Amino acid sequence: MSTSERRVGGGLLDPGQLVRSLPAALAKLNPRTLWRNPVMLIVEIGAVFTTVLAILDPTFFGWAIVVWLWLTVVFANLAEAVAEGRGKAQAATLRAAKRDTVARKLVGDAIETVGAPELRPGDRVVVEAGEIIPGDGDVVEGIASVDESAITGESAPVIRESGGDRSAVTGGTKVLSDRIVVEITQRPGESFIDRMISLVEGANRQKTPNEIALNILLAALTVIFLAATATMQPMAIYAKAANPGIPDSLALTGDGVTGLVLVSLLVCLIPTTIGALLSAIGIAGMDRLVQRNVLAMSGRAVEAAGDVNTLLLDKTGTITLGDRQAAEFVPVAEVGEEELALAAQLSSLADETPEGRSIVVFAKRAYGLREREPGELATAEWVPFTAQTRMSGVNMDGRQVRKGAATAVMKWVRDHGGHPTDQVGHLVDGISASGGTPLVVGEVDGDKARVLGVIHLKDVVKPGMAERFAEMRRMGIRTVMITGDNPLTAKAIADEAGVDDFLAEATPEDKLALIKKEQEGGRLVAMTGDGTNDAPALAQSDVGVAMNTGTSAAKEAGNMVDLDSNPTKLIEIVEIGKQLLITRGALTTFSIANDVAKYFAIIPAMFAAVYPGLDTLNIMRLSSPQSAILSAVILNALIIIALIPLALRGVRYRPAGAAKLLSRNLYLYGLGGVVAPFIGIKLIDLIIQFFPGM
Amino acid sequence: MQRLPAWIRGHLAALRALLVLTVLLGAAYPLVVTGAAQAVFNDKANGSLIEKDGRAVGSALIGQRFTDAEGIPVGKYFQSRPSAAGDGYDPTSTSASNLGPEDVVDTLPASGEEGRQSLLTQVCARSKAAGELEGVSGGRPYCTGDGVGAVLKVFPAVGTPTRVVSVNQACPAVPFVAAYQGVGVECGKPGEDYAAGRTVPVRGNATAVLPADAVTASGSGLDPHISLAYAELQAPRVARERGLALPRVRELIGEHTTGRALGFMGEPAVNVLELNLALDGTIG
Amino acid sequence: MGTATAGALFVASLILALALVHRPLGDHMYRVYTTTRHLAAERLIYRLLGVNADAEQRWSAYARGVLAFSVVSILFLYGLQRLQDKLFLSLGMDPVPDHVAWNTAVSFVTNTNWQAYSGESTMGHLTQMAGLAVQNFVSAAVGMAVAMALVRGFARNRTDNLGNFWVDLVRGTVRILLPIAFVGALVLVAGGLVQNFAAPQEIATLTGGAQSVTGGPVASQEVIKELGTNGGGFYNVNSAHPFENATSWTNWFEIFLILVLPFSLPRTFGRMVGQKRQGNAVLAVMAVLALASVTLTNVFELTGNATVPQAVGAAMEGKEVRFGVANSATFGAATTLTSTGAVDSFHDSYTPLGGMMVMFNMMLGEVAPGGVGAGLYGMLVLAVITVFVAGLMVGRTPEYLGKRIGAREIKLASLYFLVTPILVLTGTALAMGNADGLAGMLNTGPHGFSEVLYAFTSASNNNGSAFGGLTVNTPWYDTALGLCMALGRFLPIIFVLALAGSLARQAPVPESAGTLPTHRPQFVGMVVGVTLILIALTFLPALALGPLAEGLS
Repeated sequence: MSTSERRVGGGLLDPGQLVRSLPAALAKLNPRTLWRNPVMLIVEIGAVFTTVLAILDPTFFGWAIVVWLWLTVVFANLAEAVAEGRGKAQAATLRAAKRDTVARKLVGDAIETVGAPELRPGDRVVVEAGEIIPGDGDVVEGIASVDESAITGESAPVIRESGGDRSAVTGGTKVLSDRIVVEITQRPGESFIDRMISLVEGANRQKTPNEIALNILLAALTVIFLAATATMQPMAIYAKAANPGIPDSLALTGDGVTGLVLVSLLVCLIPTTIGALLSAIGIAGMDRLVQRNVLAMSGRAVEAAGDVNTLLLDKTGTITLGDRQAAEFVPVAEVGEEELALAAQLSSLADETPEGRSIVVFAKRAYGLREREPGELATAEWVPFTAQTRMSGVNMDGRQVRKGAATAVMKWVRDHGGHPTDQVGHLVDGISASGGTPLVVGEVDGDKARVLGVIHLKDVVKPGMAERFAEMRRMGIRTVMITGDNPLTAKAIADEAGVDDFLAEATPEDKLALIKKEQEGGRLVAMTGDGTNDAPALAQSDVGVAMNTGTSAAKEAGNMVDLDSNPTKLIEIVEIGKQLLITRGALTTFSIANDVAKYFAIIPAMFAAVYPGLDTLNIMRLSSPQSAILSAVILNALIIIALIPLALRGVRYRPAGAAKLLSRNLYLYGLGGVVAPFIGIKLIDLIIQFFPGM
Repeated sequence: MQRLPAWIRGHLAALRALLVLTVLLGAAYPLVVTGAAQAVFNDKANGSLIEKDGRAVGSALIGQRFTDAEGIPVGKYFQSRPSAAGDGYDPTSTSASNLGPEDVVDTLPASGEEGRQSLLTQVCARSKAAGELEGVSGGRPYCTGDGVGAVLKVFPAVGTPTRVVSVNQACPAVPFVAAYQGVGVECGKPGEDYAAGRTVPVRGNATAVLPADAVTASGSGLDPHISLAYAELQAPRVARERGLALPRVRELIGEHTTGRALGFMGEPAVNVLELNLALDGTIG
Repeated sequence: MGTATAGALFVASLILALALVHRPLGDHMYRVYTTTRHLAAERLIYRLLGVNADAEQRWSAYARGVLAFSVVSILFLYGLQRLQDKLFLSLGMDPVPDHVAWNTAVSFVTNTNWQAYSGESTMGHLTQMAGLAVQNFVSAAVGMAVAMALVRGFARNRTDNLGNFWVDLVRGTVRILLPIAFVGALVLVAGGLVQNFAAPQEIATLTGGAQSVTGGPVASQEVIKELGTNGGGFYNVNSAHPFENATSWTNWFEIFLILVLPFSLPRTFGRMVGQKRQGNAVLAVMAVLALASVTLTNVFELTGNATVPQAVGAAMEGKEVRFGVANSATFGAATTLTSTGAVDSFHDSYTPLGGMMVMFNMMLGEVAPGGVGAGLYGMLVLAVITVFVAGLMVGRTPEYLGKRIGAREIKLASLYFLVTPILVLTGTALAMGNADGLAGMLNTGPHGFSEVLYAFTSASNNNGSAFGGLTVNTPWYDTALGLCMALGRFLPIIFVLALAGSLARQAPVPESAGTLPTHRPQFVGMVVGVTLILIALTFLPALALGPLAEGLS
């Protein structure tokens, strides 16, 4: 996986989407809807006011301003509508899955047919092959393969069985085989799919803490600019009166600055850019998660993901491949490597555990030993691996070969009259000390029993993990590996993977204690989990990502669910959280920085007539006061449209230290925000100066 | 006490705090400072008074007018700067002019109406008067020959001029320029409102001989100093009036010049009262 | 040596002196506000006050203390002025008119020290020393106390306690202001400032005219007027008066006194939050803004770009010969960058752009370095706002000094920031739309407007300097400006203390590589940028109609 591929990003904006969202955008002109966005509400009030003015005194300039003010509001609504529209498409797919199903409810031993919406938590239902599971719950009886493609998009069926950590089923998914009894855990109308639909639609989206804070700042800025423009009026009247020889202009008369111009200035100054895009940014942020098959139960959790200081990662499946794998065959003194490899392969053919498979694979890869099917060797008598014997092997042609746990195989060799040398003990201890798992291979050939050598099973760290953890470190995130291994083993893996710390021989209680300890120090903790015993830790952590394959308890306790059940995704979630905040900050900076150029356009346009010296401020040399003001208003509206893709996609994010990130964003959005509108206004002015009345 | 409401108790504590601190800071502190100052720097603490013939004639730090009862400069004395403190150098009514740097248009005195001199006209008038006193040119940029601000009002404010008035020159004065952009310049008619015109100060080509401090009022109105340049300019007149040799007068100026403190603080300044006293004590 | 070179050396020597002093003084203040030991004299004072000096206060109790003390002070000062003719050392002055007395009482209690009166003809010696000078001390001590409460908010965790207002008030007065003032007063007397209780002495001048040489406890009041960034002069012409500012070196010394506490407090802040470099960053922001402003003011004044200065040959109107143009400009910048408002030259007669600079300095919100205490807390609020925007841009919930800047914090910071611009703009607008307001102008056109804008800027930001020309001792201006002063002082204080309370309650967020570093040049530059842009955007229309209209013509 190349670095650039997995960077967070969103889907591209389809221009057709703008058109399709237009009706929704127009519907949002309703002041009662706009009430939630005070910045744009003020623009709308201004648009209404200028419309009245333009009707009373129609000029081309007046109507041009009116049109562009309305467009400003529509563009802002469009941004939100497009963001919501993308969610709606997903919601439609989900709704399709949420057909009204009929449930077969167990009442005592009898089965009663009820509608799915009537199910209550605690009810038990029977679901058989071909039926849709009527509601969220846990399998309490049986095992079945389930098609969950409706929610995960993954077509391969998954196994759901009672007990253990794979018991949760989701309403709307389809049982493909067998029969299960499900105990319903959801309340009616609050099913997982229901929540998903409302989440992706952004229907009852709650503002996140950061968004609330940013809204307060934007409101404060709006108040300031409202004050600056409103109080300008008596000052302007005085200035006009002090220069009685100056004729009235479109911008300034004896009654002060004209309504059209005053509203234009206000709209240009208040932070319309960020005000217009703020909610779209939030919706799109959630959407980006959904695209990665992660469901966040609250926006708060997404934001918290950006703040995470400590990442708790389960070793198995996250840092390492799920199982240990053979990495080396170490023969004892008189045995050749080839001979050991052959014996190891033979003894593992009947071992269907992942470890056993890995020995066969390794023997093939490293020694070119062809894999043989058990049936190929007709005379062979296969001894499968069992938890009791802790060995597997084969008996053929009077020769017995065994492979298994060191103690078990050595005992087996001794029982057959062999005497394992000290060397074997040393090899076993050496592998254990290095964090590996030793499996001993022994044989009984005739009456001669001996140990052939030792197989070194190793945890294999997933490729690329070390780099990712280094990135995390640069982002200021500490990674802690959680494992049930002994400290020695844990340390070896931790060193190889490059995590900052590890928790060995971890029990669920240890995990909870670790989270609490981190939080004591003010750190935010993120973790993944799937088992019921993970639930307390998931609930305690600030960002708890439950695997979709996990239990209902885990999914309830966490605040996100990963439908792919990929624990590595936590890292992406963190990046999305950060990207969300950066996008807000960058556009806020951009929005404020933009005002500088607008002032340089509008102030000379308003007052250069009375105080010709102020024309010095017209550094863009705009052709006329009218065209200066209109250019600023047009730019203000167009910037919103231009930034919709950025708001939906999020600003580019590369993991880096805070100082570096800030520098980059400051130059791009701060400095860029100051410079860009100068160019934009000038360009618009160059075009519109040819219109009449300019 | 304990039965009073909390907010009253809070205010009582505040009142007690204020009273205690007033005793400490408003009585003990100034008394102790005064005691120490009177003991160590007695002369300075009492205003650096200068005596002549056993009688205080002023403070070394407070400037004075060196004019006669009619306000005419007394020729044998170096003159102080213009002052906006009361009638000039009044320590009970200290003030600066507070006029702005673009205050250039006068209100001409009309019948029954007192006029108002702009700062520019004040500067020009002072320059002209001082020039006459010292026998040098009183001309300055932006000043007319008759000692008012050289300012035109051009009508209309925007576009081609059709009428131009030299607003500070009351009729029947002859305008300082005959024409502006081909339009004949009129003199200012008292009582006429020229607010609608565009204000055009005209720099002219005069160069100032008199230094800046000679034509501006100080901040305090009590400035005890003049610049070295202004003193040098006055020296020939004072020497002539007193029958002293010019070099002797210059020597005295040097003696009463304070350079920049530590070589870089402030500007060199001549203490006028001390210089004049020294002159009085010098026999020609 | 040329005027410009000497002027540059003057500034450089001030920088050098401040650089030498700010550390030991900042460290001293750190000890003053953090030690648990009381001096014997302080214990006596606490007993007289009837307060438990070891009991800490929540933010609300602290704020009540500040407000109670200020209300009592205003009433006391009002009474003292109204009754001065009945008391001793009145010099025969009449009672101060009620609207002037109200304005002056508010003015001195709020550390504004706007002078709607002329000292030599209105105030007796008793009013000056037991009323006005006392407030010079305590209003400065209140400012420092509030700043310390905010700093404790950053420095402390999981607590409601912000210190004890009475202790902070007394310690600031007794251990910081009083010792420096005592020594400084004697230095000033050595320079020629008067210090006596004499009535005006009538003398006959050399040419036979009459002149009355005034006396009074001037030096003892002058020193705290500058040190406490108060600025209310003993005389009408303030520090231009030779008895308030006798020589070019007392001028240097007074500028030094103005700047020394505000520039030392960042060090105290750094020590208290346990990271000196954070203090240095705050200091750097203040220094960058201040140096830029001083330089520009000097350049504009020395260039003298306006009709009258061109006619004169230099911007000497309203300036003293012994100070010269450059040092007067430096004083003007220093007094407006801090909330002092003392003047040694008259800003009304500055060049338009020089006059804009001193006005803009105040519009910055008095943060570079600002008034004693007030500058620090104002700057910290700006830092909070900057951190909020910048913090988002690094992808984390913004945090400053280990404290999260959430909705409550940004609300209080925003409210703080809103107060003064709204007071300035609303006040100016009301004056411009009102016959009483328009009547006060001395100058016409944009300059007259600048006078009004300056007055409301000065009052709302608690600076107290005047553009001079405006006639303000009218009931309308006394009331309006008095309200601006009171609201401009106490609303921000309440918001700052509430912010302090909110910060102190938080648990600290540990620093990591992902935390926005707030001690690097990058952050310093960003605070400077945010401050300049926000202020410029707020005031540009008003400035365009005043000094810019005048200066760009």
